[in-house]
Amino acid sequence: MAAQQTRDLAGAVDSTDPQVGLAAVASLRNLVERLEELHVANARERGWSWQEIGAALGVSKQAVHRKHGRRRRLLG
Amino acid sequence: MFERFTDDAREAVVAAQHEAAALRHGWIGTEHLLLGILTTGGGGARLLAGFEIDAAAVRGDVVRMIGTGEDPIDPEALATLGIDLDAVRERVEKAFGPGALSRRGRCRRGGVDMHLPFCRRAKKALELTLREAISLGDSNLRTEHLVLGLLREGDGVAARVLAERGVTLAAAREKVAGRDAA
Repeated sequence: MAAQQTRDLAGAVDSTDPQVGLAAVASLRNLVERLEELHVANARERGWSWQEIGAALGVSKQAVHRKHGRRRRLLG
Repeated sequence: MFERFTDDAREAVVAAQHEAAALRHGWIGTEHLLLGILTTGGGGARLLAGFEIDAAAVRGDVVRMIGTGEDPIDPEALATLGIDLDAVRERVEKAFGPGALSRRGRCRRGGVDMHLPFCRRAKKALELTLREAISLGDSNLRTEHLVLGLLREGDGVAARVLAERGVTLAAAREKVAGRDAA
């Protein structure tokens, strides 16, 4: 994205338009989810325990295992 | 392996990537190859039309079976927070490889020069396509052979869609062989 365009859009951050703000929150949440999947999988591949991963994420090992332990395998 | 593909077959593989992207799937599976064949409109599409199968019907089946892709990340929405998604993507891909920011499934390793990676089953189907062409005595890989490869692979979403719609490998082979003879 061009820098100017980014600046124009960034100007919207102080707008109180709910559509703008909520869309940004939704995309940010989706980005965070994606990053979490990636890093949890990487940690598992490197032999980290659920306990260690949970501690690093600031959640219980049960929570992280429930969320990532049985990620549904997509069929090709 | 693509050097023996006819223009139609290459086009179908390229179209498969577009189908995958449109469904927001982060991989190219057998289902996208099937859709690519159908939208390219070559011999494979004609073969499937003989079974009353078209792209719209298959797209519906695919969405019903596996859904569309992950929740969207809108670069413009993130830009309102001062986040440059391209910069994030660049860093993530540097660490984890192309397409890493897409949902992974088990499909993240990619083909050469392909933005989206082929799934294991899609790769298998492409290999079987070659064998089908050879067994029919054809030195070129045509979209008909791709259909046979998808059927012979047997486990992927494409094979399931085709089976549900009554296409068997034997019947499809017969049609392809019949056309060659004609």
